[in-house]
Amino acid sequence: MPTASLSLAPVEEEATSLDEVVAPDLPWVTIVWNDPVNLMTYVTWVFETYFAYPRSKAEKLMMDVHVKGRAVVSNGPRESMERDAEALQGYGLWATFEEDE
Amino acid sequence: MARAFVREPDGFVALLDDGERLILSGLMQQTRVLLSPEIEPTGDAFDDLVASMGVSLNLADQGDPATSHGDVTGAAGAPGAAGAGHGTTDAGYRDPALDRLLPTAHRGDDEVAAEFRRLTEEGLRQRKSSNLDVAIERIGAADDDRVVLDAGQAPAFLIALTDVRLLLGERMGMRTEEDADALHAAMETIDDDDPLGYAMAWYDFLTWLQETLAHALMDDGDGEDLLTSDGTDDV
Repeated sequence: MPTASLSLAPVEEEATSLDEVVAPDLPWVTIVWNDPVNLMTYVTWVFETYFAYPRSKAEKLMMDVHVKGRAVVSNGPRESMERDAEALQGYGLWATFEEDE
Repeated sequence: MARAFVREPDGFVALLDDGERLILSGLMQQTRVLLSPEIEPTGDAFDDLVASMGVSLNLADQGDPATSHGDVTGAAGAPGAAGAGHGTTDAGYRDPALDRLLPTAHRGDDEVAAEFRRLTEEGLRQRKSSNLDVAIERIGAADDDRVVLDAGQAPAFLIALTDVRLLLGERMGMRTEEDADALHAAMETIDDDDPLGYAMAWYDFLTWLQETLAHALMDDGDGEDLLTSDGTDDV
């Protein structure tokens, strides 16, 4: 991608809020839990479709859910994990978000 | 006799006879009733987003009476309640199936879970209802038993099938892998006229139909074998 000499992007914020200084934003995770209804094929399709994960990664995560009972499917700031959990629930998966331990 | 979804030149096509379409559409409509949002989706993504935000941010102001709805096996919400969405009442009753269709999003912090639900439930109900509307419309538009889905309708149909199976599974008490195994084992000895037998047969039919549509959507022609070929395997 060519580098533009004129950028419309906002000036990067350097300042950090007091909250972040006191309690640094730990990464959060989105978890998908095993359930007896959702099909292996379907769960793989959801991971491919929503996250745009390649087939191999989608299948590995699906197998983790199936065999281990749960899998961390994404990580990042809390707002992103809430968005992922909501989207995955929209697909009918049993998705939760929590602070990474 | 039904034929599974396959990719054809004009879209994803299944063959479902009158009886199969009637039952399938009926199950989708019952799921739709349970999931109905406070404000019905308009089909316009932006309008729906705005509507869902307005409602979810002002739930305390919502006072529309909820109505009682029959559902898959006859359980129903209590009538005359103030609305926190269909399937719930102000007396604290929440249809257990809703906890499967709209599950808690945080295990261990009820406050976080409640806040998440307040902010997301209306939008989720709208999106799920929209998917079911697409699916019900396509079934109704079947011509010569052909249910035809274009590339945009197929994912909606696939997700709608998930929500119907979640509701049906919950009504049959299928909450764990052990429950599912026990239910399938019980089918060996169940009476011919036991409603549970019918429910299970339709559940398996929906499973089969969903599996074929998922395979058709994922088969991108690169020759890569899908890991799962067993139509009855669940996660």
